[in-house]
Amino acid sequence: MELEGIKTTENKPAGENKKFKLRKNSLIIICGLTSAIGLVLIYFAASSIQAKILPLREINTEFVGRLVTTSGYITYKRTHPSGHLFLTIADDTERNVKMEVPLFAGFLDSLKDINIEPSDFKTGRTIVVTGTVDEYRESLQIVPRKPSDIKFVLD
Amino acid sequence: MINLLLTILLLAAAGVGIGLFAGIVPGMHINTLIPLLLSFVFLFGLQPQEIAVLIVATGISEIFFNFIPSIFLGAPEADTALSVLPGHRLLIEGRGYEAIKLTVIGGIGALIASLLVIFVFASGFQFVYELSRPYIHFAIIAVVCFMILSEKKLRKILASILILGLSGLLGIFVLESSLLPQQQTLLPVLSGLFGLSILIISISERSSIPEQTNSTDVKISTKEILRAIILGSVAGIVVGFLPAIGISEAATIVQYAGGTGEARSFLVTISGINVGNEVFSLMSLYLVGNPRSGASVAIQSVMNELTFYDVILLVGVICLAAGAAAVLTLWLGKKLPRLLARINYKKLTLSVIIFLVAMVFAMTGFLGLLVLVTSTSIGILCNYLEIRRSHCMGCLLIPTILFFSGLNPLIISILNF
Repeated sequence: MELEGIKTTENKPAGENKKFKLRKNSLIIICGLTSAIGLVLIYFAASSIQAKILPLREINTEFVGRLVTTSGYITYKRTHPSGHLFLTIADDTERNVKMEVPLFAGFLDSLKDINIEPSDFKTGRTIVVTGTVDEYRESLQIVPRKPSDIKFVLD
Repeated sequence: MINLLLTILLLAAAGVGIGLFAGIVPGMHINTLIPLLLSFVFLFGLQPQEIAVLIVATGISEIFFNFIPSIFLGAPEADTALSVLPGHRLLIEGRGYEAIKLTVIGGIGALIASLLVIFVFASGFQFVYELSRPYIHFAIIAVVCFMILSEKKLRKILASILILGLSGLLGIFVLESSLLPQQQTLLPVLSGLFGLSILIISISERSSIPEQTNSTDVKISTKEILRAIILGSVAGIVVGFLPAIGISEAATIVQYAGGTGEARSFLVTISGINVGNEVFSLMSLYLVGNPRSGASVAIQSVMNELTFYDVILLVGVICLAAGAAAVLTLWLGKKLPRLLARINYKKLTLSVIIFLVAMVFAMTGFLGLLVLVTSTSIGILCNYLEIRRSHCMGCLLIPTILFFSGLNPLIISILNF
């Protein structure tokens, strides 16, 4: 059963078919090279993006989707039945400025590799977090992506 | 009461209008329009329920209108094309209107079938959803393996692994980094893989729309239609459960499992999958307590949760908007070939290409253009390697497998993002 295609090159004269194959092969090489070069360039562009260092109070909706590094002390923590941990951190100077830091179950597992356990997130502890600013139910969140995105500030 | 009814009718009509715009403009999608739409509706002081009506009407009608450009634009020349999509195959035969009519039949049939399935099994969805979540990545891996092996020949299997790998890498680089604005991350990726690449191939080969017949009949039996509708709507609901599994992957599986490989039954099936998936996604907040599409995320952002009364209202709007969109799609399907015959096809395709590139640049800048060039190259490569374009869905499948298997923090660390 031919699913998506109908082949018709067989109907062409031999010379024309050869020319078509030559053109097709050149296009495969050109597209293959363009894809590979494009991917290398995109990788370098993506890996060279540095997180913007900001105090928590300066993060607003303009930063949604951007990578930021900020710090705050844990005021509240909530565990979800699926194993996620939701932290609320507050700004060091303006204590009414708060933001949620969701640590999903898979991410918490990866933190264990660098010896950070969910029980280490105690209220009152200050953390430095790097992550993408996200908007969820009209509130801003900072979503860390890799284990090194979370650092504890020594008391 | 009459005022409320009029407001709902007006908003549903506006939704169909926006759906028409999103559906017929290549590269445009409801997800692209939602941020703009939400900021605009707040200016009018609309209530959450009214905003949901607008979103639902836009979402469902866009599905119907989407088939218009996908059938009438981008068809290659029959004598040089190596793979022709089923809709294009009928257009080349002069039966473009029949292709449109089949998608409308499939869409309306699947709307009825999927609503019946959803209402009968409503209470079971939450249980199945929670049960399946820890194993979702295994289901996606199984679908990916099936997609690869369905190519059968070794050369094609290797080619499909290459395309899955390239598009997967592109997806990881773009989705796991903050390279592009969050709301528009997928715009250059999907526009290149599934839009621009098809248009570029088409412009290099075709100079006009093939002459179309005046016939309005459909050459498929009622039994075949019913089978395609049932398979399509059930597959659409299953797709709603599985993140990143797209319509084309589901269609491939249904083609094998249900034997709906013929162009006509394929069009009914694919339309059924689209509508089944959209209906489930729009209802997902009520059914599984989680949004399953851009439109349902938008509904959640304004309504938080849906009550039974809201669901009844939204089902009514879905039926109304789908009916209006179906009539409008059939009308356009009849008028467009005559209009397009008078227009220079190359110029039309070229203007769509320019519009797409300009839109990507305006929304994502130079980095978006770089992503667009790369994704277009992968899309063209896929065409010349003579494998199914659905392998390009690796851009969503691979990052989703990494996310659900909990491997993405490791990958991000390795890639140094």
